[in-house]
Amino acid sequence: MALSGIQIFKMTPKKNCKECGCPTCMAFSMKVAQGALDISACPHMSEDALAQLSEATAPPMKTIKVGTGDSEYSLGGETVLYRHEKTFVSKTRYAVSLCSCMSDEEIDAKIEEDKKVDYDRIGERMCAEMLYVNYAPNSGVDKYVSVVTKAAATGKVLVLGCEDAEAAKAALAVCKDAKPILNGANASNYEEMSKIATENGVVLGVHGANIDELYDTVAALEKLGNKNLILDTTGATIKETFATTVQVRRAALKDSDRTFGYPSIVNLAKVAGGDRYMQQALVSLFTMKYGSIIVLEEMGYAEALPLFGLRQNVFTDPQKPMKVEPGIYPLNGADENSICLTTVDFALTYFLVSGELERSGVPVNLVINDAGGLSVLTSWAAGKFSGNSISKFFIENVQDKVKTRKVIIPGKVAVLKGDIESKLPGWEVIVAPLEAVQLVKFLKDMQANGEL
Amino acid sequence: MAKFVTIGERLSVTAPTVNRAFASRDPEPILKRAKQQLDAGAVYLDVNIGPAENDGEELMKWAVELLQSNFDNVPLALDTSNKKAIEAGISVYNRSKGKPIVNSADAAGRIEYVDLAAANDAIVIALCNGEGIAKDNDERMMYCQTLLERGMEHGMEPTDLWFDPLFLVVKGMQDKQMEVLEAIKMFSDMGLNSTGGLSNNSNGMPKNIRPIMDSALVAMAMMQGLTSAIVNPNDLRLMETIKSCDVFKGNTLYADSYLEL
Amino acid sequence: MPFNRKPQKFNAAIKTVEIGSGDKTVTLGGENVLPFYSFDGEIKNGPKVGVEITDLGLDNEIAGVKAYYEGASTIGEIAKKASEMEGADFVCLRLIGGDPNGEDKPVDELVAVAKEVADAIDAPLVIEGCKNVEKDSELLNKVAEALQGKNVLVMSAREENYKAVGAAAGLAYNQKVGAESAVDINLAKQLNVVMTQLGVKPESIVMNVGSAAVGYGYEYVVSTLDRIKAAALSQDDKMLQMPIITPVASETWSVKEAMATEEDSPEWGNQEVRGISMEIQTAAASLASGSDAVILKHPQSVATISKMIKELI
Repeated sequence: MALSGIQIFKMTPKKNCKECGCPTCMAFSMKVAQGALDISACPHMSEDALAQLSEATAPPMKTIKVGTGDSEYSLGGETVLYRHEKTFVSKTRYAVSLCSCMSDEEIDAKIEEDKKVDYDRIGERMCAEMLYVNYAPNSGVDKYVSVVTKAAATGKVLVLGCEDAEAAKAALAVCKDAKPILNGANASNYEEMSKIATENGVVLGVHGANIDELYDTVAALEKLGNKNLILDTTGATIKETFATTVQVRRAALKDSDRTFGYPSIVNLAKVAGGDRYMQQALVSLFTMKYGSIIVLEEMGYAEALPLFGLRQNVFTDPQKPMKVEPGIYPLNGADENSICLTTVDFALTYFLVSGELERSGVPVNLVINDAGGLSVLTSWAAGKFSGNSISKFFIENVQDKVKTRKVIIPGKVAVLKGDIESKLPGWEVIVAPLEAVQLVKFLKDMQANGEL
Repeated sequence: MAKFVTIGERLSVTAPTVNRAFASRDPEPILKRAKQQLDAGAVYLDVNIGPAENDGEELMKWAVELLQSNFDNVPLALDTSNKKAIEAGISVYNRSKGKPIVNSADAAGRIEYVDLAAANDAIVIALCNGEGIAKDNDERMMYCQTLLERGMEHGMEPTDLWFDPLFLVVKGMQDKQMEVLEAIKMFSDMGLNSTGGLSNNSNGMPKNIRPIMDSALVAMAMMQGLTSAIVNPNDLRLMETIKSCDVFKGNTLYADSYLEL
Repeated sequence: MPFNRKPQKFNAAIKTVEIGSGDKTVTLGGENVLPFYSFDGEIKNGPKVGVEITDLGLDNEIAGVKAYYEGASTIGEIAKKASEMEGADFVCLRLIGGDPNGEDKPVDELVAVAKEVADAIDAPLVIEGCKNVEKDSELLNKVAEALQGKNVLVMSAREENYKAVGAAAGLAYNQKVGAESAVDINLAKQLNVVMTQLGVKPESIVMNVGSAAVGYGYEYVVSTLDRIKAAALSQDDKMLQMPIITPVASETWSVKEAMATEEDSPEWGNQEVRGISMEIQTAAASLASGSDAVILKHPQSVATISKMIKELI
């Protein structure tokens, strides 16, 4: 974040010596703040002031990369606390928790279970991207390494929850090339853990008994030169975890406190008390409020369906509408003889309309036009959902694939009926009601009257 | 972003009714004018008691207590060249609705008003003038720096100095208008607050023209980052312009009835 | 250098609105910190959880909901059980049966339902209409009249009928009024302005600023809630300081994720668990952005969300 003129002014000698070419130190500060002059143009700046300035011009929150290849993810790098202020850049990633205290069968079963949830939602792959492998000291290092090896075989990014140096070294020996996270530094072991993380080229996770200890430990690690960090903000209780996670992010972005300018790990396996529903409430809460990685006991479809919908919504760019792929979407077992219903590719419209169509139970081919990701009226007004564009889309992409010659158009563009009929010979154009919720009754009535 | 702060200017000894009321300690006309201004949306009220060399302390206390007790501790700008009168006013001032404003300091003979504001945790209007009107913005910013440093030396928050570029009269100084607007932009770029007697620009113009000129200037000045102005809040056109500019700047959230709020 | 805490203190607060009568009232709003930011300042009244029931009874409800209400045959009995649900702060009766495009029940019949519910419970009551503007104008007017003295929250006054609903509920019969807009922050503010100009006290207004299930354009809900809280607290915008109530169940139980049976989508697993998940995650997200009350349906969701609130405050 750039410094304001006044912050720079406070560091100037305030002598108005004009050696920088400006009439006053005030004018100089203003030019530096605008980027028109470099701070070095002032010969009287102290070392301290220069160091402070270079610190201040760095981004408020570091972007930390983990994983490799297709499984490489960026964490952090945020500049705002609310999505409406600009946009969130790095979406929350989820890790399912494993532990070396579990039996081999349990681990295998959990990994298999986790693989099942992997699907596409509006062009985005949805799955828990990470596995959190917790080290239980009494299970021994060998067992830990065997669990880590199994987890690594999934190709997911690993987070090693391990505060034991020997176990960490052994685990990293088998997985370091895939760039896992070593979540194991604390106030007493940070020097040794930092060394291990640095030697293995991996990100180091830091934890503190409380927010102050976390802060001091991060500061100490930075002093050692390690700025490849992620902060485990999990506390003893839900309340403390929320307080730490929010304050860490807010200190970084609002108060420009660089020590907390790192992504976070929130471990719900520790605070949700094994309550599947509480875990769901919390994963939603921490997706909204500042968890970069959230660790869960499980990620079944029940967790995933709402959660990935929420994440996709929250992390969408407010300036860019979400779009679905244009094409034919057969619903309720529709085939080539089923009626067509067409609308725009704005994701929200698609979801509302497809939801109502599914509720009707009537087989329909939902035809999504390329309308620039805008809503029906907006795209119509912009000329992207017009008689020309709809008929062209049907001729090029639909006509050869279906036998039906009936198409339902949105009630809001009823005016297009005649135009489409003249440009799409042989088709009957039917006008739908104004609102999507009325579609169920509309289609059921058509079905009852034998009009389909 | 904070809403634009309007300081109502109609309680001034330059108005004969007000002058007489101050002199005879007659509450009626004072309260009437205060109410008119507050109803029209003024945030602060300026209390200009003139030089008040003899009875300034007692008069300012009387005015502060009168206004604050009648209007829910309305925040005030204390406007007089009598420093002791300002201190006396602050001694009875209730801060629950906002710090008092000291009106005003400059970079020459009245620089000690900055010290006075600092000592009393008040806001000060800092007029970027020396012995005369600054000849250009280099000089204006020099005065700005002098005032700012003075305030910081005395422990003030930079945002408690509200810099006044000195609005100049169009009839006679038309060629200086853009420079004043540029000065406001500089204050704003520095992260500083600003204010000033905006209607000075239209001095000497026909009565029906003045609201138009004042409204146009306030819109341009708000675009440059002006955060406050000393105005006649009963100028409807001006107040509507300010409210509209506040919407454009995101200082208030739009609703169809925004002009009624 | 130790961590320097910088709490966000605002010189403004959300207004408090009390609903219910007798011993069992609830107070919505009152906070002067961001949602659950108890580390910035004390949160006097935590967010509240309401239980939704409808005049259509239980026939269309999912198994777990039916099971909870087992033995309750009249609407009064259902309401009683709803008010006794673990974690419930109030009951919300939706009069969906009034919809002219649905069952089109006459107003008198629905007023009788509302009366029966109000008489059966001590808990505070929220009454929602059928969402049809014309019907609601009459229906909510009559309901507000019939329930005088109960201090219920009548939902909702909208742009089209705020005069009828606001005047009846908020002025004539001294109830609390919900002001409803659909993710339109300017309209949300405008409704509060015109209702107060009508004479309804600001302390009698609760906002419903729109809702959606997560995944269904929920980003608009998030930004609307975030921006309202920001304007209310940091800009001290008095016309946005009314507490916010968010109906969740009515949105989440009608989306595909909650409606598809296990036969339809075997890989998705148990339908009821999915429905609860959708309800819980949506409610938690709404509370995180600033809802002062959420309306839920499933006993599991009510218990979990109310526990989460207690954990956080």
